[in-house]
Amino acid sequence: MPLVAKARSFLRNLFFTQRVDEDLDQEVRSHLQLLTEENVRAGMPRKEAERAARMELGGAEQVKEQVREKRLGNGLHAVMVDCRFGLRQLRKNPGFTLTVVLTLALSVGANTAIFSLVNALLLKSLPYPHPERMGTIYTRIVGSSAASDERHNVNGEQWELLRDNVPALISAVSSGGTSGVNLKAGSQVEYVHRGRVSAHYFDVLGIQPVLGRNFSEDEDRPHGPNAVILSYTLWRNVFRADPGILGQSILIRSEPYTVVAMLPQGATTPLNADVYTPLRPSRSGEGGGTNFHAITRLRDGATWQAADAEINRAWLSRPHPYELGEFPGAKLSYYSVSLQKGQTDSLRPQVLALMIAAGFILLIACANLAGLTLVRMLRRTSEVATRLALGASSWQIQRQFWIENLLLALLGGAVSIGVGYLALNELFLLLPEHFLPVGRVPLDGHVMAFTLAVSVLTSVLFGMLPALEVRKVDLRSSMTDRSGVRAGSVRVRQALIAGEVALTVVLLAGSGLLIRSLIHLETLPPGFNPQGVLVVKASLDDVRYHDPAAFRALLDKSTAAMRQIPGVQNAAVGLSLPYERVLNDWITLSDGKETGTQGGTDELYVTPGYFDTLQMPVLAGRVFTDADSPNAQHVAVVNQSFARKFYAGSNPVGRYINNDILIVGEVADVPIASGLHPVAPIQTEQTMYIPAAQMEGPSLALLHVWFQPDWVVRTAGPVGGLTAEMQRALAKADPNLPASGFYSMKDLLARTLTTQRMEVALLGAMAALALLLSAVGIFALVANMVAQRTREIGIRMALGSTVGQTTVEIGRTGAGASCVGLFVGLVLCAGALRVMRSVLYGIGVYDAPTLSFVVLSLSFVTLLATTLPTLRIAKIDPANTLREE
Amino acid sequence: MPSEPTTLLQGTSDPLILKSLATSEMHGLGIPRRIQQITGGTFVVEPGSLFPALHRMEDQRWTSSFWGDSENHRRAKYCRLTKAGRRQRAVESKRWARISVAIAQALESS
Repeated sequence: MPLVAKARSFLRNLFFTQRVDEDLDQEVRSHLQLLTEENVRAGMPRKEAERAARMELGGAEQVKEQVREKRLGNGLHAVMVDCRFGLRQLRKNPGFTLTVVLTLALSVGANTAIFSLVNALLLKSLPYPHPERMGTIYTRIVGSSAASDERHNVNGEQWELLRDNVPALISAVSSGGTSGVNLKAGSQVEYVHRGRVSAHYFDVLGIQPVLGRNFSEDEDRPHGPNAVILSYTLWRNVFRADPGILGQSILIRSEPYTVVAMLPQGATTPLNADVYTPLRPSRSGEGGGTNFHAITRLRDGATWQAADAEINRAWLSRPHPYELGEFPGAKLSYYSVSLQKGQTDSLRPQVLALMIAAGFILLIACANLAGLTLVRMLRRTSEVATRLALGASSWQIQRQFWIENLLLALLGGAVSIGVGYLALNELFLLLPEHFLPVGRVPLDGHVMAFTLAVSVLTSVLFGMLPALEVRKVDLRSSMTDRSGVRAGSVRVRQALIAGEVALTVVLLAGSGLLIRSLIHLETLPPGFNPQGVLVVKASLDDVRYHDPAAFRALLDKSTAAMRQIPGVQNAAVGLSLPYERVLNDWITLSDGKETGTQGGTDELYVTPGYFDTLQMPVLAGRVFTDADSPNAQHVAVVNQSFARKFYAGSNPVGRYINNDILIVGEVADVPIASGLHPVAPIQTEQTMYIPAAQMEGPSLALLHVWFQPDWVVRTAGPVGGLTAEMQRALAKADPNLPASGFYSMKDLLARTLTTQRMEVALLGAMAALALLLSAVGIFALVANMVAQRTREIGIRMALGSTVGQTTVEIGRTGAGASCVGLFVGLVLCAGALRVMRSVLYGIGVYDAPTLSFVVLSLSFVTLLATTLPTLRIAKIDPANTLREE
Repeated sequence: MPSEPTTLLQGTSDPLILKSLATSEMHGLGIPRRIQQITGGTFVVEPGSLFPALHRMEDQRWTSSFWGDSENHRRAKYCRLTKAGRRQRAVESKRWARISVAIAQALESS
């Protein structure tokens, strides 16, 4: 038979069921009429004839059903009927449906959100042509205590060797990140992010400018011509996408740069900068240290093995490989790693930890749903028994059951995509710009497929138990017995609850530790008064301020203008503030028994009002005054840690460092983000303050590439429009100096602790979700116990049991399971939490307050979840219950 | 003389229905009556097997159906053989001829 005709019948049977059925109905009826008439003609009375006809037909419905079963597409049709029946069942039990769909939406939604991160960071290809041919270089050191395996940052010497002696690769280097600079075009001044890149950077990325050309090798040489490439966004926002800007000169850092190209729309780079300028790498200055990030692209016909061999040959021939500095015995090698991995390696452990936490949530949800569906199944035992008695096959019953589960899973999955989308948006509000190495975290096909798969998997997991239970339905006993309680099923549910509580305990303890850690960091003794302080940052990476005199004039004028603002008590400038990342330097002590001692210290320049404005206690000596001018004695103020580290805690005032710098005062420690020996995101360590007036030109130029100084003002109370006033004061000193941002000290702290806050927010949210799900699970178990055992409770109370006794008896099922879970969870914690050691600050892994908090919160939730449903016991009237039987 | 009615053997309904439709189109009641007639009352096709068979044949495009008036001016569903149905009838007849010869041989051989 032709396929088309078959398909037509198939579709007709499937989609025009009603018409097909009406047709069939008419056919059977007409047949009946014909039979009747035949009988009448044979001489039967009308009534008799009709009866005989009906008997011969043998049941209109059965005949119709037989036809339906033979129809094309009957299997699918039956599935559709089951679906409709299932949907009706779900509609009829809105409480059950809502609970399941919500549980799924939250748990699968959490997984969707986290997986979209995994997808964007670890799975999705980078948005460049042939991303598999792109790489970066790792260093592997073995055979020493310094064994390591990490992304390699290169210095000028290595860059030259990589560029000239590794023909298998096109290589490029860039600055480690972007820096804020001021851009001036016409009368417009903009604060923009600048990335510095070598020639061929965009060739490696495979990005062709939409207009213009990439940097030439000439532009990438020290003292080469100034050139700039604009990102599409900047070109559109600042220059209204005017192609005429190509070849024109714009001011960046007050220097003229020729616009040589614009990047195409949507083009992203690992730097994600607004403007790109040539890096001009060399062996001196910045290139004297490992400050460059390398990216590579395999040339056509070359292999990674060949490239790695060339890199090793080139780099190992250097006379002084710095990597082995203190460990000459170790073995050093280099190898290429895909750029994807190189970019995301540092985030991988966190993302995977989150994925595991999300998996826990899913398991907890499954345990709950298995319990819920099990109860529902048991409640429907008599329905199942009836269907079996009417001739339904076990397969039909199972099919119906699984279809209902699948419907629930799909429904939950659909809602969970919305939940995941919202969760992801919330997550992005938490994240600072450029925190993730990818531009977008989309909910794409992969994520959708994942969500679908997880939903279906969930339905299989939670459906398995009840499905097994259905197979045990015994026709005879279930038709007669209506209580449907089976001791075995309660024990299974208790085990499920215990399991989910155990996982909840682990999540709670984990997030508890992170919270305690964050609290520790946020409540470190500040050593200054963070209240009533407002900060404005601006970039001084500007040739005009390479001149120390111009720099001093700017600071004097701007701080004076800020002090004029009504309500402002004091104003000052510093290279950095407490909580911020700080510059570090290497110093030599120059007098006393410590002569010649060297060591690292944090270092920053400040204006004389800095300590007053921040209200930092002066412990000894004096702080800076206007008398500490460029030509006066070079002085420094150090902090308490400095005195402890270099002078064993004795008074440092009057001592000399770096030959001629006199220490004139000692101040209290303040927490900073260390660049020296980071043991925590913020900590206190040795710090040296230098008067801003005594800074020299070359170091100013370098420092301001890396750091944006802070203008800080102190006010007595809230001042309206203070930010605008500060901006105006800054403009009074330099109209071409845009502020890059305004912050309170709290904002600066939050910025530094972004990672920790993220971890707390994410894991905390998941722990809360886990707790909620566990509470729902316990509640459902106990509530169900009450409902199923109403009759028994009635009898107990009729026999003299009190409400209290019965409540305890029933509540025990939930509380007992929860206690077992709590115990198992604590045992799990003992092993699992050790992996968290590296992200905890100020607390140990076995933190008594955290564990007590976990035990208390779980006990409280368990108490609540077991008590609420047992309140119904008090309302049970023994007389009523017994009469019902 | 009509013999005792026998229920249809598995697989016999198709050739009989196709045969009954060979000469003219027929409605749902006509077909079993015709079969009764041509088998000398040996076979009775119950509605329970007739209807599914008719629908299956229509799905397979061996027959087509239409609503028409019965001899007593009642609305009735008529079936008629399609070209494919005629071909199928030939196939079924041959098959049955083979089977009946084979069975007869088998039964006589002992």
